[in-house]
Order: sequence, then structure tokens, then C-alpha cells
Amino acid sequence: MTWTPAWAWQFAEGHRCEVEGLGLAGPISRDWAWGGVTGAGVKVAVIDSGVEDGHPAVGRLAGAVSVEIDGETGETVYVDGPHEDRFGHGTACAGLVRRAAPDCDIYSVRVLGANLRGRAAVFAAGVRWALANGMQVANLSLGTGRASQFSTFHRLADEAYFAGCTLVCAVNNMPAPSYPSEFAAVVSVASIRGSDPFEYYYNPAPPVEFGAPGIGVAVPWTAGRTIHATGNSFAAPHITGLIARLLSKHPGLTPFQVKTVLHALASNAR
Amino acid sequence: MAPFSAAERLQDLVDAARRVFAAGACSIALLDEQEQNLVFEAASGRGADLVRGTVIPIGSGLAGWVVSSGQTLEISQVADDPRFARDIAEQTGYVPRTLLAAPLETRDGTVGVVEVLDRGTGDDAGERDLVILALFARLAAETVVSARLFTEMGSLLLGSLATHASDGLAEALARAAEQAGTDADLADLAELFARLQATGPRERRLAVDVLARVISYAESAPPS
Repeated sequence: MTWTPAWAWQFAEGHRCEVEGLGLAGPISRDWAWGGVTGAGVKVAVIDSGVEDGHPAVGRLAGAVSVEIDGETGETVYVDGPHEDRFGHGTACAGLVRRAAPDCDIYSVRVLGANLRGRAAVFAAGVRWALANGMQVANLSLGTGRASQFSTFHRLADEAYFAGCTLVCAVNNMPAPSYPSEFAAVVSVASIRGSDPFEYYYNPAPPVEFGAPGIGVAVPWTAGRTIHATGNSFAAPHITGLIARLLSKHPGLTPFQVKTVLHALASNAR
Repeated sequence: MAPFSAAERLQDLVDAARRVFAAGACSIALLDEQEQNLVFEAASGRGADLVRGTVIPIGSGLAGWVVSSGQTLEISQVADDPRFARDIAEQTGYVPRTLLAAPLETRDGTVGVVEVLDRGTGDDAGERDLVILALFARLAAETVVSARLFTEMGSLLLGSLATHASDGLAEALARAAEQAGTDADLADLAELFARLQATGPRERRLAVDVLARVISYAESAPPS
């Protein structure tokens, strides 16, 4: 019996289906999409636990903001300036983005903190910061299964779509609802074996559209270390990095065009 | 109040998980009411006595990230990173080689985390183990939710009976519903059940059918 994580079997040998390309006069090629570029000039938000600025695998951040809950008003507030990575995970994601797009501008948007209460509001505020500050792609290796947050994140996913900011979301590893990854306006990602960010697959059936390396991958961690890790949260940054490269060569692409190109260049697209 | 002890059931789950994974240790931690800390409710294997009852803030450590992000995570070579190892040791009693953790998800949000340390099964990346842990996480989450619902419902009923022993049950429950605050919906439901007792078998059957259809619809429709 073959065991694969939830939502990963669609990408396994023997299960992958061939998908239609665009059929343009000239095919969309990898060289056309991201050949010869490094992601320069593209703003990428890593919405996570913070990012260790200057980590060898991350380099200098272009900016950092922490979303907090004001103790008196209970409202979300933005605290600009350097912050630490509370867990190590945001640094891991930023390092994976950097690997695929070495010269993109990475902004750390810290939304995971000391308290889970109000977490969904903080998370939503982090996405709003990305939209308000011209981020072209945002990595969300987190989600919420809280039913009451369905409409908030559905609206935000649509806002991002129309604002021209592609949200790249890790899907839940379990067959349970997770927002915003399950919405059509975002790019949803599950993990497959491999380490090459350019080897990824497309799956037309919900709840996940893309499969990218996230099983046993080497990821940067806090204190300048590298560890081996598995999780859909490590698959999403590979796709985020690819999108940064794509947008550095084709800055005007909309999120649905970005998805079209990703679809056309998937390793299982004919 | 529940027909089972949540603590015992969670302990059964971590004992079973440890055997299934041939793991060094396994534990389940639940969020406290303030949603600031994780409390280790059940532990099995190495360091279990030390871990059970331990409280850690969610703002640090891997378990905190899993609960905060809602994402399952597998990490190996934990001991290679001293700071990381210290964080892990604080919540597990020792520094494992590998750690696998999954959130306990419910419709109302994450309620905790299940961790498996030093699995003796599967490959390094734990693809098989991720699938199996998801099942344990779901069972644990449902155990927690069921226990809390039973406890709330039971407290309400007993409280009503004790406080208003001389009144009719329906009237007592109606009063409880008014006083229940955030549990008002549950209290309303309990009151309706009490009134339903006074109706005939056909009416009760109809009520059950209607309720089943409402629940079926609610479970299939997008949450509002």
C-alpha cells in the first residue's frame, strides 16, 4: 500500500492527469515566463511568524511589520520595524522564497504571536497590510478552519485578486475546511517530494490546485541553521518564489494570468 | 458530566498513537480559556510524567506555531539547533531526533495540538505518518468537542433542576435559558426538548426528523 499525505496523491506517479495548455500561437515556455530573471523589483509578503532579518538564507528584508492587538482598544495595530521570528517558520518560508527568486523584495508581516485570541483578525489585518502596501504576491503558510471566518477571508481573497496581489496559500494537511486556501481566487499548494522549485504539478479538482516540494526539504531556521522538514507550509513558498520571478519579467500579470502561466508550465501540463 | 472522561480518552489516544508510531513519546496539549497557553493534558512514553500538566505559552515553540497556523509539521534533526532543541525540550522533557505535530481542528477553531516524538515507523519525511496523525488529531478534536458539549448541556440541566426543583422542568429550563449568557442557544434547545416531552410520540418523531434535516443542511451549507 502506498501512503501519501492528504491532497498529495493526485500528484503521485500513475495518478497525475495531463492538463490542457493555453494553445497560443507561441507556447508559454519556462524561458518566456522566468528565464534570465531573479525576481528583482517584486514585492513579496511573507505573512507568518516573523522573519529573521539577515539570516544567511534570507538576506536583508525590504521591510517588516508586526500586527498586534492593542491591549486597551482590542483593535489590530501595525507596528513597523524589525522584529524577531517567534517560531522559526517565517524564516524558513522566506528562505525558500529567496531560493527561487534571489533578488525579490521580501517583507515580513508577522501575524503569529503570543495569543491566539483575535488571531483571525490579526491574520486578516496582515493580508490587508499586504494589499494596502502594494505587495504583488503574498505567502500564507497558515490558515483558519474557523467557520465564522469563512466570509471574512472569502472577501479578502477576492479583494486580493482584484488588487493584483496573488495569495499563495498552504492547504490544510487534513480533509477539513481551511480558509483562505480553499477559495478559487488564491493559489493553493500541497506538498510533494522533491527539492526543485521548478518541478511542480497542477491538479484541477479542489481543494488544492498545485503540488510543490514540501516533503523532507532542507529549510533555513532561526539562528542561521538549516533543518529538514515536511509540511504543506513549506510547499507554498516554492510557488511564491516562482511567481516573484514571473512578475519580475512580466510585471503586469493579474492573479488569474499568473495562475494561467503556472498551470501551463506545470510538469504535468502537455 | 460527559458519558466518558475526556482526560482518559485523550490518554487512550496518546497511548495508542505511541504504539502505532512506535514512538519515543506522544502528547496532547489543549488551549486554555485565555488562548494564551497550551496545557499538556495527556502524555505517553518518555518524560510523560514530567510533561503531563505542563503549561507552555503559545508564543514560542513548535507546538505554538502548529496551533497558531493550523498546519501540520514534521521536523527532523531537531538536536542540531541548540535554541530549537531547548524550546522542544521545555515542552517534551527531552530533545528528540524528530517531531511530528498536528493541530486539533474543529469548526470553531483550533483547540490544541498532538505531538509524536521519535517515530520508529515510516520514512524520514513521515508521509504515511502524516496521514495517520491526521486521524488521531481528528479523534482527539472530536473527543474534546463532545466532552465540552456534554458538560455544558449537563451542567445546564442539573443546574436547572437543583435551582428550581419545585418548579416544572420546562419553566426551570426557560429561566436557565435567560441566565445562560453565551450558552443561550443551547439552553433554548434544552427547554424545547423538555416541552417536547409533553407532546405525543408522532410529534416527537416529527421534531426529530425536522432537527435531523436542519443539521444535515447546516453541515452541507457554507458556514455563515
